[in-house]
Amino acid sequence: MAQQTRVRSLDDPDVFVESPATIYDAVPPYPPRTEREAEFYHLRDGEMLINLGPQHPSTHGVLRVVLKIDGERVVDLDPVIGYLHRGVEKICENGTWHHAISNCDPLEYVASMFSEAMPVLACEKLLDLQVPRRAEYIRVLAWELNRIASHALFMGWLSLDLGGLTPILYGFIERDEIVEMLNALTGQRVLFNYLRIGGVNGDLNHDFMSRLGDWMSHAAEQVENQTKLINENEIFVGRTRGLGVVDRATALRMCATGPVLRATGIPYDIRRAHPYSVYNELEFDVPTREEGDSYARYLVHVDEIKQSIHIIDQVLHQMPDGTVMAKIPRWIRPRPGRAWVSIESPRGQYGAYVMSDGSDHPFRMRIRDPSFFNLSLVGHLMPGNLIADTMAIMASLDPVMGGIDK
Amino acid sequence: MEMRRRSDDDQPNEARERVARAREADELTPSASARTEDPVQMASDQPSAQPGALKLAADRAVVEPIVVPNMVWTSANPIAYGGGSTPPAITHLRELEEEDKSDNGRWGRFDIIPTKSDYVLDLIRLNSLWPLLSGLACCAIEMMSAATSKNDMDRFGMFPFRASPRQADVLIAAGTLTTKMAGPFLRLWEQMPEPKWSVAMGDCTTSGGRYKRSYSTVEGIDRIMPVDVYVPGCPPRPEGLIYGMMKLQQLIRERRGQWAERAVGPTVPQGI
Repeated sequence: MAQQTRVRSLDDPDVFVESPATIYDAVPPYPPRTEREAEFYHLRDGEMLINLGPQHPSTHGVLRVVLKIDGERVVDLDPVIGYLHRGVEKICENGTWHHAISNCDPLEYVASMFSEAMPVLACEKLLDLQVPRRAEYIRVLAWELNRIASHALFMGWLSLDLGGLTPILYGFIERDEIVEMLNALTGQRVLFNYLRIGGVNGDLNHDFMSRLGDWMSHAAEQVENQTKLINENEIFVGRTRGLGVVDRATALRMCATGPVLRATGIPYDIRRAHPYSVYNELEFDVPTREEGDSYARYLVHVDEIKQSIHIIDQVLHQMPDGTVMAKIPRWIRPRPGRAWVSIESPRGQYGAYVMSDGSDHPFRMRIRDPSFFNLSLVGHLMPGNLIADTMAIMASLDPVMGGIDK
Repeated sequence: MEMRRRSDDDQPNEARERVARAREADELTPSASARTEDPVQMASDQPSAQPGALKLAADRAVVEPIVVPNMVWTSANPIAYGGGSTPPAITHLRELEEEDKSDNGRWGRFDIIPTKSDYVLDLIRLNSLWPLLSGLACCAIEMMSAATSKNDMDRFGMFPFRASPRQADVLIAAGTLTTKMAGPFLRLWEQMPEPKWSVAMGDCTTSGGRYKRSYSTVEGIDRIMPVDVYVPGCPPRPEGLIYGMMKLQQLIRERRGQWAERAVGPTVPQGI
């Protein structure tokens, strides 16, 4: 095969870019490196390769998927990731523990309150730090609000990839309301940078509480309206029910977590299985479905929104008084050692395996992102489906490329 | 539609004289010096008069558009377009813009406007900017938020997010640009047909932002492609993006018909 070449840009002859052929031809410019690559890029009669992404509205970011198709049916596919690799883990090693919080923020940019918790919880575990109870309750409140915002966007995006424009508008109304609320609390709409080692940055304020009260008064009703729009829709049901079916064994083998796993009937929720923060004091169900298809995943998301509203209701009633920050020195040096923390993000188990060498910065931070493991299911889900349905199946896995590529 | 050719006797001489005067003025002083004294002149018609503006070569200067009285047809409806009976009081395009357009947004009679086409077409382009739907990272969420119900970009004439670069006018670079994505992203820019503009949304695309010291990111997209508007913020609010897009509209309006050659790097004039 041809060597990778660099050509002059059309706009500026002084700039060199990759040859268009190497970017847009689906075939990589190097000889196959593995047996799997050799098999995938060998075409039989009637088969052809189609390149999907990295710029495509349905890939939810900069994912690139090479589809091998036979007519309208997908035979095989090869996801290519790394288009959003920003080197977050390496950057975290170069800064202090406090810097790591804001560096981990953009990993899961749809629900960044979860990814920024990783260095916080890990450092607290290494420090054996007791966080004030009020801070724990505020964290739970922020997490659950962010979970609802993320799930509302999921419902919209899934419908958008099926061709319905209206639900995304409703999803963004819900999301913007919550995000403006968190903006009053944290000062940011997307990358909150709110959690701190030993607590949170700032107590609840009047602006936040009044917005929260407004929203709580119609939150359940808004979910009902949104589900009424989608749940019984014939096109939506026809293109999600029975498509993208994952069985339990495959889901477990591929390390799927979150709604993808719970849609197969396994009630595994970190909040219940390994309770962290104050989740063992709160009452909530772990919604599951048996079917394991796209429709079941959607319904699990809807049920989780209702459970989150229920949790927020309890948190507001049980919110204790007190400080929101533990008394810790400004210069943090955790003991040398390793720590594993994991929380339940909207997409599943968000974990971090952190090594400390006793200095003020993390020695190594390995982040386990649920989107990566959920997305790796596409190889099992896509073959045999129509090209148009690959979008719907991929959307039902709800990947966020920031966490996948890190 | 009734067509008739008017005789010269029908026309009052005033409008013709104004046109003639304007033509003489244009021939004598093709640059901005004559227009500066004109009280009707809008500031946005003279980007070159503002401090720090791009200096244009003489052959790229724009001839001021002149409205010629309609000699070709009259409307069948005697009420519409003034019945076609009176000659135009307006002789210059800038007067046409300032005219009262309360009558259902119509711009009065159909008259012939000899001008450089981009001078008029850019007015149309800036009021219907089609952005490319290409989110890179976090900023893409705010870009979508700017397009949906709460902050509706549609109100300001930036509506349909096109999925294909061949149908888009504006490239909103929303999110971190990594070295692996830089090649495909530049190809997107090159596939867009001229005229095209680009907006760098967020700190990552303006300067590198919080990933400036990463080994795998491009520190600002102006290293690989021209940028018209920078919207800083990590990420900027949707209002911020809309403000940036309105600044882009202002830029297009002020420089309409006078686009200098594109170059990689910030489009800030020399000496600023």
